[in-house]
Amino acid sequence: MEALEAYNITHRYGRVTALDDLSFTVGHGELFGFIGPDGAGKTTLFRIAATLIMPAGGRMILFGLNTVSRYRELRNHIGYMPGRFSLYTDLTVEENLNFYATIFGTTIKENYHLIEPIYRQIEPFKKRQAGRLSGGMKQKLALSCALIHKPRILILDEPTTGVDAVSRTEFWEMLTQLKGEGITIIVSTPYMDEALRCDRIALIQNGTLLGINTPDSIRHSYGKKLYAVTHPDRYRLLLALRSLIQALSPEPLSHSHEPRATDAPLSVSAFGLSPEPFGDSVHITIPESITSGEVVAALASSGLPGAEIREILPGIEDVFLELMKKEV
Amino acid sequence: MRKLLFLLKKEFRQIRRNPFMARAIIAVPLLQMLILVPAITFEVKRIDLAVTDYDRSPASRELISKLSGSSFFRISGAPAGQAGADQLLLSGDADIVLIIPDDFSEGLAGIGKPTLQVLADAVNATSAQLGWNYLVSIVRDYNRDVIISSGLAPAAIPGISVSSRYWYNPDLNYKYYMLPGILVILITAIGLLMAGLNLVREKEIGTIEQINVTPVKKWELIASKVIPFFIIGLFDLALGLIVGWIAFDIPFEGSILLFFACAAIFLVAVLGLALFFSTMASTQQQFLFIAFFFVMIFILMSGIFTPSESMPVWAQQFNYVNPVAYLMRINRMVMLKGSGFQDIARDMVALTVLALAFITLAIRAYRKRA
Repeated sequence: MEALEAYNITHRYGRVTALDDLSFTVGHGELFGFIGPDGAGKTTLFRIAATLIMPAGGRMILFGLNTVSRYRELRNHIGYMPGRFSLYTDLTVEENLNFYATIFGTTIKENYHLIEPIYRQIEPFKKRQAGRLSGGMKQKLALSCALIHKPRILILDEPTTGVDAVSRTEFWEMLTQLKGEGITIIVSTPYMDEALRCDRIALIQNGTLLGINTPDSIRHSYGKKLYAVTHPDRYRLLLALRSLIQALSPEPLSHSHEPRATDAPLSVSAFGLSPEPFGDSVHITIPESITSGEVVAALASSGLPGAEIREILPGIEDVFLELMKKEV
Repeated sequence: MRKLLFLLKKEFRQIRRNPFMARAIIAVPLLQMLILVPAITFEVKRIDLAVTDYDRSPASRELISKLSGSSFFRISGAPAGQAGADQLLLSGDADIVLIIPDDFSEGLAGIGKPTLQVLADAVNATSAQLGWNYLVSIVRDYNRDVIISSGLAPAAIPGISVSSRYWYNPDLNYKYYMLPGILVILITAIGLLMAGLNLVREKEIGTIEQINVTPVKKWELIASKVIPFFIIGLFDLALGLIVGWIAFDIPFEGSILLFFACAAIFLVAVLGLALFFSTMASTQQQFLFIAFFFVMIFILMSGIFTPSESMPVWAQQFNYVNPVAYLMRINRMVMLKGSGFQDIARDMVALTVLALAFITLAIRAYRKRA
């Protein structure tokens, strides 16, 4: 029995299909990440797992308990953090924590060890109303409240959205610690660097799963060699790479029947992907048949001398963008 | 049960911390009582009367002085002719114009028949009608005096003399009539608006999401949201009653216990409505719009200003499901007439049925939608 088993989960809002036939499992004590653009269906999926909504089709089972028929028992084992801060802003930090402890039939004292590393950081402000906390502190409080009843699974819907970089890093360190306590965690995030810290990642888009794998496998599943091209004039570099591809693409936009020059330095199928800007470089794939030097030469001849190119390990983003294009 | 007590404690703590709520609980009953009760009156006093006297005789002057001597009329002008009188009516400077023709005193002396013309501004039909009635009765008195003094009839004209006594409100004090009604409006506002807003607020700020994942049962949640406003409603009713007693010396003829029992049943009905409307709204703004619409209808149809018995039949039928109408009637009967349980049993039973129906409907809707 896995911690979470989802079979053919489907959900609709009116005519819009939010989730389309999703099946996956999450193991005990696994840190399982979902990444995908806004509107991909992550929140809907998490709300189903949190027993808040019933899926229109399929079933989800947590620790052997169906989320629809056994929701009452299940709720004792779920810690849920919605995407939006949803604690009482007019109650103090301590009152909020005490509130959630009491309605779960426990006390702060009983499970203090579990929340201690997190709660200790906000304890100096325990008499402050939750609405007056900073974003990072609010989130630590929300996590403490979700943990106070010692849940077996944590469901965290974009917990770090809108939180500063330092707090984000701290937050993920806490998740790793909680994983050590044997708590299963499913988490969604728009940040690719956070996804790398998960045991496994599911890529989700338009309500369908594009793939599930460990971060490393996902990066290696890219299949082609990926290069980062840099040049001081990044905008012109991007344009030059784009036009280079367009000129060489198998179906030129001009629809001209003129035969291409046979002495073209690069083969027609050179670029499988259009170049994508990433930070200060442009990522590009080139097939085995040509070398990176030829690309630099081609750039130099189109007025961009001094471009640098180096092979890089594909990031999750690269794979994600590639998978998205295949879908389209 | 322990969980419910804890939830209630949390609700009261939040209500106390909400500066608006905490103030409204005290301020609303005080303001409603002190402003609405003395302000709303149907008494028609100081009607502006303009008189065009073509006759200018001792007889016509005597009639005018009789009119101006009564507390109902204030002579606001003496236009020279018809055109001036019309102008006064149009500008609102006169509510009624009395025109005394130039043959008035001759008519009284037996030459021809004396006539008077009365023009009334009937935009407000009630005050026009009342003013006209007052005027006619003063003219009738005057007429009788003339007949007696001219010796045309003995001092004691045979006829039926009607002596009237107004029961339950001998001085026809409108405050006594309005105050029980204002108390109903007060607890309607507390029960429906405050409770409903509190319910929708959890939805609007998203805390309900977090609560729904906990083992807290729906009924515990509903009870924790409704009970505080039940208590606050009764508290405000007592406060309003005390204010009425101190400020207006309102009589209380019936049983206070019965009065509060009925108010408690009414509050259950109103809280049911608040819960029901809250399932239809996802923001406080939406809730206010829905609640305002229904509260207006309930109050205006309830018979607070005009007797519901004179409303069209369909309106009276609507009042079978209007909790405000029941309590309006019960309050006035208990407070002013001193009616006992047997006198109001029918209304009380109907109100109880309504309360049970509303709260059941609301809980069902709440389970389904929230």
